[in-house]
Amino acid sequence: MKLNRRNFLGTSAAVATSLSAPMVMAGGHGKPRLVVVGGGAGGATAARYAAKDSKGAIDVTLIEPTRQYYTCFFSNLYLGGFRDMDSLGHSYGTLASDYGINVVHDWATGVDRDAKTVALAGGGAVPYDKLILSPGIDFIDGSVAGWDLSAQNVMPHAYKGGSQTELLKAQLMAMPEGGVFVMVAPPNPYRCPPGPYERVSMIAHMLKETNPTAKIIVADPKPKFSKQGLFEEGWANHYDGMIEHLGPDFGGDDVSVNPADMTVNIGGEVVQADVVNVIPAMKAGRIAELAGVTDGNWAPVNAVDMSSKADPDIHVLGDASSQGDMPKSGFSANSQAKVCANAVRGALTGSQVFPARFSNTCWSLIDTDDGVKVGATYEATDEKIAKVDGFISKTGESADLRKATYEESLGWYAGITSDMFG
Amino acid sequence: MQQGAFKSMGVALGLVMLAQSLHASDASDVSDWSVAEDILAIEGDREYGAYLSSECTTCHQTETSTEIPAIAYWPREDFVTALHAYKDKVRPNPVMQMIAGRLSAEEIAALAAYFENPE
Ligand SMILES: Cc1cc2nc3c(=O)[nH]c(=O)nc-3n(C[C@H](O)[C@H](O)[C@H](O)COP(=O)(O)OP(=O)(O)OC[C@H]3O[C@@H](n4cnc5c(N)ncnc54)[C@H](O)[C@@H]3O)c2cc1C
Ligand code: HEC
Repeated sequence: MKLNRRNFLGTSAAVATSLSAPMVMAGGHGKPRLVVVGGGAGGATAARYAAKDSKGAIDVTLIEPTRQYYTCFFSNLYLGGFRDMDSLGHSYGTLASDYGINVVHDWATGVDRDAKTVALAGGGAVPYDKLILSPGIDFIDGSVAGWDLSAQNVMPHAYKGGSQTELLKAQLMAMPEGGVFVMVAPPNPYRCPPGPYERVSMIAHMLKETNPTAKIIVADPKPKFSKQGLFEEGWANHYDGMIEHLGPDFGGDDVSVNPADMTVNIGGEVVQADVVNVIPAMKAGRIAELAGVTDGNWAPVNAVDMSSKADPDIHVLGDASSQGDMPKSGFSANSQAKVCANAVRGALTGSQVFPARFSNTCWSLIDTDDGVKVGATYEATDEKIAKVDGFISKTGESADLRKATYEESLGWYAGITSDMFG
Repeated sequence: MQQGAFKSMGVALGLVMLAQSLHASDASDVSDWSVAEDILAIEGDREYGAYLSSECTTCHQTETSTEIPAIAYWPREDFVTALHAYKDKVRPNPVMQMIAGRLSAEEIAALAAYFENPE
């Protein structure tokens, strides 16, 4: 099956070589080399599993500019006051010391697919036999009129972890009594489908305590959103009258902002805001485009091993990939990473490759102890990652069940971060 | 060992209590629910189990219980019984019912063989 797929895709000499000698891909340079770009949910997991399971047989290099990774997951709980920022930070120390991963703190600036090297901002190039890209997302210029990256310190996106989230929180804390907070929600597809709505819930929770007459307006280009029934029920129960959600019928798909005077124009109506959170349209992290593995905004991959449709020796994980039915989440990226690491290890060392299987669960917190979740399992088909089975919390569930659901999410956070960073 | 025995009791107790509560409220008779001998007898493929375990470790840690219980070092039978209880929807929890729902008896045996003593 694998042979067929490769024949179908394969054009380069490298593929022909790997077909005739699939056991070892390290052409005369000792250990086979895996390079991973991006140390987030996908990349850190893939690097750790490849290193751990090959027991030193693969030379693993992880390229990641930041020394401390701040998770986006649970960053909404930080806004709500349920977590502090320190608890969201994770270092790469254990990956280096306990797993022997060569962690390089730098930006990858390009990929030479013929020479099979990754160029670094600091100079030099790192050679690879297999390359995994998990660079997360970047924003599409011009998707919200009036906003570009130079406005992010006035109207933060807070859709990458760390300082942007801290800025948004500081702005919310400083908001005048009875002030107006506007969120510009993103169009599909984007990272973490329930993320903007969990954020609205957490900001409402915080404002209800500190600034109860404040208003929240969400301008949304989408007619429907993730877990909508559950969020709307929760907003009515906990934050009645505080949140106004304006879908496309109310101009939510026709928005411009003016960072200079803090106004938001929603379908022709100008709102004077105190804090504005612009979450623009998204695309794959730029290095995927530079590597030439994107088609449009995202990088198409083969479901069976997350290999790029453009290059069998490059794999793309997580948010940057276009794979089918899985939502762009940390859980999904982590799940894809393990399938990919198993396949890459097989290609590099000849170890057994087991069939791909994926799963995802996304929890959201609506208010104290009011947690909801949605989850699904997935399999690889020739065409895409396809959903097999799923569940979602129901409206009207008991407080005990909602509390148990929230508590589960705490266990998951501890689990996934130790699965990523050791 | 002691840990195993403790776990084993926990599972058994949980099942008994559940069986009773379902029995009281529901027409289905689960009070005599158990895993068939031939399923318990399946020899699991440990290497396959190691691969499958990577789906579990997003939530479960092997040795440290968080809000989600640790699942390593259990006697195989208890492990197999717990997973079939989710698979057959005798034990509640949508996440675990979904996860176990698509595991075959062979895959559950493989996981039990791995988690009995991971590395
Ligand atoms: C508010 C919010 C809430 C969320 N909540 C959840 C949740 O509850 N559950 C969940 O599962 N997911 C959640 N997510 C989604 C989750 O954060 C992402 O889906 C996940 O991080 C994607 O993983 P990734 O590996 O694709 O990218 P990331 O985790 O973003 O990692 C990408 C890494 O690549 C690095 N990088 C980028 N470009 C380069 C380059 N050129 N060279 C080197 N390194 C580079 C970056 O520095 C970054 O560390 C949430 C997201 C947000 C914004
Ligand atoms: C999305 C998170 C998640 C994933 C993934 C997951 N579990 Fe669970 N698991 C849970 C939760 C939550 C519970 C507690 C459920 C309950 O209260 O019955 C649980 C309970 C269990 C139990 C019973 C524990 C006890 O002490 O009684 C076992 C055994 C188990 N899981 C095994 C597995 C295996 C094996 C896998 C992988 C194939 C797995 N789980 C994947 C969340 C998860």
